[in-house]
Amino acid sequence: MIADISTKVSWPEEGVRRIPYGVYSTPEIYDREKSAIFRGPIWHFLGLEAQIPETGMYVLAQVGETSVIVVRQADGNVEALVNRCSHKGTPLVYLPQGKTSRFLCIYHNWCFALNGRMLSAAFERGVGGKGGMASTFKKEDNGLQKMRVHRISGLIFGTFSDATPPFEDYAGADLVANIKRVCGRPLRVLGQYSQKLPSNWKLYIENVKDPYHASILHAFNGVMKQDRLTMEGGIVMGSRGWSHISYSKMSTDAGDAVYKDKSLRSGEITAYGQGLRDTSMTDIWDDFGDGVSMTIQTVFPNFVLQQLRNSLAVRTIVPKGTHESELRWIAFGYEDDDERKLNGRLKQANMMGPAGLIAMEDGMIGGLVQRGIAGDLDKAAVVEMGGHGIEPIPGSRVSEGSVRGFWTGYRTLMGL
Amino acid sequence: MKVGTVPESDARRLMVDYVHAIDDGRLSDWPAFFTDPCLYRITTRQNVEQGMPLSIMLCDSQAMLYDRVEAIESANVFEPHHYRHILSDSCATPVACDGLRLETSFICVRTMLDGRQSLFAAGVYRDHVVNVGGRCLFRSRTVVLDSPQVDTLLAIPL
Repeated sequence: MIADISTKVSWPEEGVRRIPYGVYSTPEIYDREKSAIFRGPIWHFLGLEAQIPETGMYVLAQVGETSVIVVRQADGNVEALVNRCSHKGTPLVYLPQGKTSRFLCIYHNWCFALNGRMLSAAFERGVGGKGGMASTFKKEDNGLQKMRVHRISGLIFGTFSDATPPFEDYAGADLVANIKRVCGRPLRVLGQYSQKLPSNWKLYIENVKDPYHASILHAFNGVMKQDRLTMEGGIVMGSRGWSHISYSKMSTDAGDAVYKDKSLRSGEITAYGQGLRDTSMTDIWDDFGDGVSMTIQTVFPNFVLQQLRNSLAVRTIVPKGTHESELRWIAFGYEDDDERKLNGRLKQANMMGPAGLIAMEDGMIGGLVQRGIAGDLDKAAVVEMGGHGIEPIPGSRVSEGSVRGFWTGYRTLMGL
Repeated sequence: MKVGTVPESDARRLMVDYVHAIDDGRLSDWPAFFTDPCLYRITTRQNVEQGMPLSIMLCDSQAMLYDRVEAIESANVFEPHHYRHILSDSCATPVACDGLRLETSFICVRTMLDGRQSLFAAGVYRDHVVNVGGRCLFRSRTVVLDSPQVDTLLAIPL
């Protein structure tokens, strides 16, 4: 029986322009998310095809509480197999990535093919004609549990639910187009790392979906004129408003006066009055020939595709309990990058990650919010910038519509 | 002393002076431990073992080091905290024509102002130390973190 979580958290009557603080810290909500979201009708990012170019190469993904082996097949396809031996439940793989010809459980040598089919169990016919598996046991019924996989431009997504719409319908045409724009060439993985965040996973994805904060919290952005709300840009909403793209063009800023007038912290910082001493990080080029220097795209619930100038990356925010999450980053470029572009991307990677000149504060802000709300879990956040709804404001990013879009999807799946 | 040679004792002193400057909060002294150009980067054991070039932090000139200091002191926002580095002895190998290579293990404890204290990082410094005008400096310092994961954020250099 499913517990009635509405007795734990009731959504304010204003709808998604209020976020009840209880959703960030209530154990029953977290339990419901495991089934309603992470086993529900969503597409979850699993990895990059460039991480597993050869037959038998695999990476581990984490889908909610479930460890998933993402493995290249001999025919070039990719399978996503739950990392759990069908005998006792032992993980078959315990390294983050590797290459194998089959999956062999260390506990009792149950063996599975790369596609999850069960091949054998140790002593399945007994020893010397004695013992062995019961006559009722059928190997064909004991293969590994699978996710349905969708691949798009080198990105691998998976879903546990038969009810999940086709990826193109789930994300929406504009979001599919941006994935193809950023990832539509052979990718080269440049490296990875992760961050342990002291906050609920939803505080991070809200932060990503909130262009309102980007040039305010991240003063480096504003100072460097990297991404200010006075630049030409906008928000594009995905299917049903659940996912989004925020974008800007960097050569269109006229905002010094605005940022100074509003008493914003970034406008007051004079340390960089002369700009950076070393300008090599701002030696950028137009990767896509469209003048768009920044795109941050989400795919509901927890995937981020990042283009910060020439710094390209995917991020996944993995829940680790009500008050902790893990942010996984993979940086990439293109196979045909020359040395200048490769070095440029590596240098611009100073903007991202745990030490990111721009991204650093995102590691902390969710934890601060979580501390701030701890004594008032019956209250709610006020999310009214840009109105009440999830419609984008053409040409503007001064909106929390994309945040409200996330909560629209969340409420639908959670029944809240 | 021949110009350009690096006495091991001076290089070991450099290791100690560097972490004391950071742990004492003298961040503005940090760039002066490096040559110009230089290489300072933080990466992970996982990326090194996989041959992946990504860094968590990457500076290759004095100017970039100073930019980083200014970002930390003026632009970036984070909860104030202190580091305490503990170093191992260094393995030193002379470089054929120029300086010394050293490897030094470290752990770094991070303490927040409210008393939260944790083992923030463990890893190894891989250094190339040269003698410039009688002073030992890092031509390159690569910080290889044992863990692929950083807790919350990494603002102050290691």
